[in-house]
Amino acid sequence: MSEAKASTSAAGPEVVLGLRSVSKRFGRVVACDDVSLNVRAGEIRGLLGQNGAGKSTLMKIVAGFVRPEAGEIRIRGETLGFGDPVIAAERGIAMVHQHFSLVGPMPVWKNVTLSDRGHKKVDRTGTSRQIREIGQRYGLDVDPDAIVDDLAVGERQRVELLKCLRRQPDILILDEPTSVLTREESTALFGVLRRLARERGQSVVLISHELEEMLEVTDRVTVLRDGRVVSTVESAEASPDSLAQEMLGHDVTVPAEVLGLTLDEPGKAAGVPGSLPARSGVPSGHRAAVLELSDITVASAVGHKLLDGVSLDVGEGEILGVAGVAGNGQEELTGLLSNLIRPDGGEVRVEGRTIQTGRGRQLSRAGVGVIPADRHDSGCVLEMSVAENIALGSLDGMVRWGVVQQQKLHQLTQRLVGDFRIITSSLSAPLRSLSGGNQQRVVLARELARRPCVLVAAEPTQGLDIGARGYIWDRLREAAAGGTGILLLSSDLAEIMALSHRVAVINRGRIVSTMARADVDLAELGRMMGARTHDRR
Amino acid sequence: MTAAETTPEQSGTTVAVRPPRLPLSEYLRVGALLVASMAAAIGCAALLLSVTGSSPATVFRAMVTGSVGSRVALTATLNHAGPILLVALGALVATRSGLLNIGQEGQISIGALFGVAVGLAVQAPRGITLLLIGATAAAAGALWASLASVLRFTRGGSEVITTLLLNFVGFQVVSFAVNRPWLLQEDLPEGSILSASPQSNPLPPAGHLPTLAQGPGFRLNSGITVAVGLALVLAFLLARTRWGFELRTVGLNPRAARRSGVSPARVGSGALALSGALAGLAGGVLLSGTAFRVNDGFSNNYGWEGLLAALVAGSVTLAVIPSSLLFGALRAGSGVLAATGVSPTIVGAVQALVVIAVTLPLLYLNRRRLRALVQRTGVSRT
Repeated sequence: MSEAKASTSAAGPEVVLGLRSVSKRFGRVVACDDVSLNVRAGEIRGLLGQNGAGKSTLMKIVAGFVRPEAGEIRIRGETLGFGDPVIAAERGIAMVHQHFSLVGPMPVWKNVTLSDRGHKKVDRTGTSRQIREIGQRYGLDVDPDAIVDDLAVGERQRVELLKCLRRQPDILILDEPTSVLTREESTALFGVLRRLARERGQSVVLISHELEEMLEVTDRVTVLRDGRVVSTVESAEASPDSLAQEMLGHDVTVPAEVLGLTLDEPGKAAGVPGSLPARSGVPSGHRAAVLELSDITVASAVGHKLLDGVSLDVGEGEILGVAGVAGNGQEELTGLLSNLIRPDGGEVRVEGRTIQTGRGRQLSRAGVGVIPADRHDSGCVLEMSVAENIALGSLDGMVRWGVVQQQKLHQLTQRLVGDFRIITSSLSAPLRSLSGGNQQRVVLARELARRPCVLVAAEPTQGLDIGARGYIWDRLREAAAGGTGILLLSSDLAEIMALSHRVAVINRGRIVSTMARADVDLAELGRMMGARTHDRR
Repeated sequence: MTAAETTPEQSGTTVAVRPPRLPLSEYLRVGALLVASMAAAIGCAALLLSVTGSSPATVFRAMVTGSVGSRVALTATLNHAGPILLVALGALVATRSGLLNIGQEGQISIGALFGVAVGLAVQAPRGITLLLIGATAAAAGALWASLASVLRFTRGGSEVITTLLLNFVGFQVVSFAVNRPWLLQEDLPEGSILSASPQSNPLPPAGHLPTLAQGPGFRLNSGITVAVGLALVLAFLLARTRWGFELRTVGLNPRAARRSGVSPARVGSGALALSGALAGLAGGVLLSGTAFRVNDGFSNNYGWEGLLAALVAGSVTLAVIPSSLLFGALRAGSGVLAATGVSPTIVGAVQALVVIAVTLPLLYLNRRRLRALVQRTGVSRT
């Protein structure tokens, strides 16, 4: 970039991307709250935050995939309209999404031409040449004729990058680009990004939750929390610990009673009010284990270890919190205990008996209840009624001669709807007609009504408001007090801290550490969640 | 929050999904829409007929009198509706479990083929013979459909493709059997100058379905009662039993089913087998009710019409009864029409127009129900 280009602002290079007071809410959840941000030419900017902090939403707004309610986006000083990805692309914005948008059975060059506009004839040799040229210039070697399905994840990402770079964008946005990469692949990617910034004056926005890599590659880091910009710091002056503190927050908007933690006195759980029942009642270390996982390994189709030798145990009446950033193996862990995945190695034991997962009724008969992170995925059937959803998996006592006893099911549902304060127009209303919080209560009610010996609760309060959240927490505590062993998977540290007796940290498919609740140092916990302690493969 | 707010109003002990009630004006609108779309269909059909040189008035009169105009016509309608309803029930079972069986034509043919083989082989009182024919036809249809099941659940082959292709295999099997004197081809009297045609011997009277009503030129067989009886049983099984509940769960959310310990493969292959069994039984009813023998092209579109009847009926199980009656009526009417010399292609087009005219208001009704649901609850996500 030549220095001749005078910027409109007083000092420093030109502001390429400017956001003014951008706000976006989904229903009652605020995703972006009055966000302002300036990205300069040639800058690599990091966006850091916990899950749900609004990083991805913010960048999707910039790229035109999400339409905000208020605010303004300026590209080199000129206003960009909202909600049109085609126009955003024309104005020089390119985004690589966390989940790739490639057509697997097609060769690379076809994938690259797919995003072309207009009615030009598809030019195979020209495109292939271009792919090789850009590849050589930035170290993004990909064979244009290779079929995408045959490529490793890192190579697929290079294809996505090539797709963007071919259009010579002014602003390149990468959403969690390293979450699927090995250490070596990440290092290579960072090299490419630095070169782009230095040689082309390319502005890059990098979304991530990994503290160290943020500091490694970015010029400045903006920390988001609950949809708000908390701070923007020079990467050279920041440390992982300071970033972790910014990311998690010194004080959190959730009432302290529900939350039960402060960051200022890490590890001093003594200061927590007595709102964490059960914990004091259960002597640690003497509980009979109701759930034991030993050395569980689950590999993806291409051989990445999604769960890598996971061993853990949950005692009777104990809540074991598994803290971790989403995508580090929690989904596989839930899938395993939801009867959806068969492990490639290792053993699952419930109350001492070995259980085959992935087929048959063994898991549910053994008394394992699951509240899945995505209730629509395997937690409920939207087209069925509230009562039928209650019946899902708890039919055993309600069937005579193969016929479901309507009266019994009706009574049970009526009771649960009352007990769990589920708001529904009738018991025969389709579950789809309930609000998200009430759908979640139906799932919770069903799973708890079976009095499971083990309950897996994955992100049980995700997307719920604070009231619903406190309610569900109370129910989980109650269940634990009643003897249920709860495996709580959450990317929300406040939730982990509020409920758990012990805390385990999951990172890249491994349990990195397990400690008693009282020994938790939040900053350390955040660092372990974000640290790149292991490589995939 | 008070208890009054949280306890839903409840009448009876319904636990299955009930569609929201709409204001009367909506139902009137659906009725008006039905009239309008029928008028439009008749208009289009009239245009088509006059362009192709037939008299619309004559044709419509033939269709009405041929389907409901006389006892002969009504009998034809009901005799057609029986096997169509059985096929439709089978299609419906598969659809509820999330599978699409479009191999009914083949399943009918194979069912009837094995049915006639048994019917010709045994010498037993009528009740036993009929039971044997029915059971064999159903079992043969089930096995035929299960071929697709094996491919689906062991190799992941789409059942839509395999059931469709198995139709052609089924036709060939029937054709092979009725063209081989040592298999099922009809015996001709010694010294006959005719050559044997590609068809089987007729069933003995012990293999004929009982007659419900009879008169000059018509004989109503009991196929329709069997079919309606099975429709009622199936509606109960689907709505009220554990089997039906698990089947619907698998169809709507297989992952939720697996989580609750229900195997989609087990439930799905069972559903496909039952689907084939009902189509095979339809073949048996056609055989014992009206055809009495098996020939090339035996299934004669009953499979496709049954499948359509199930699709038109949509999500309400018992709606297959009226929709099958409609298809039976259309078939009877077209039969008379074809006899008046109108080309079968045009007859088919007229039939299709009527089906569209009936389906359209139903689609509208479903949309309105969905919208009522959304407005009431503010939920718009899919």
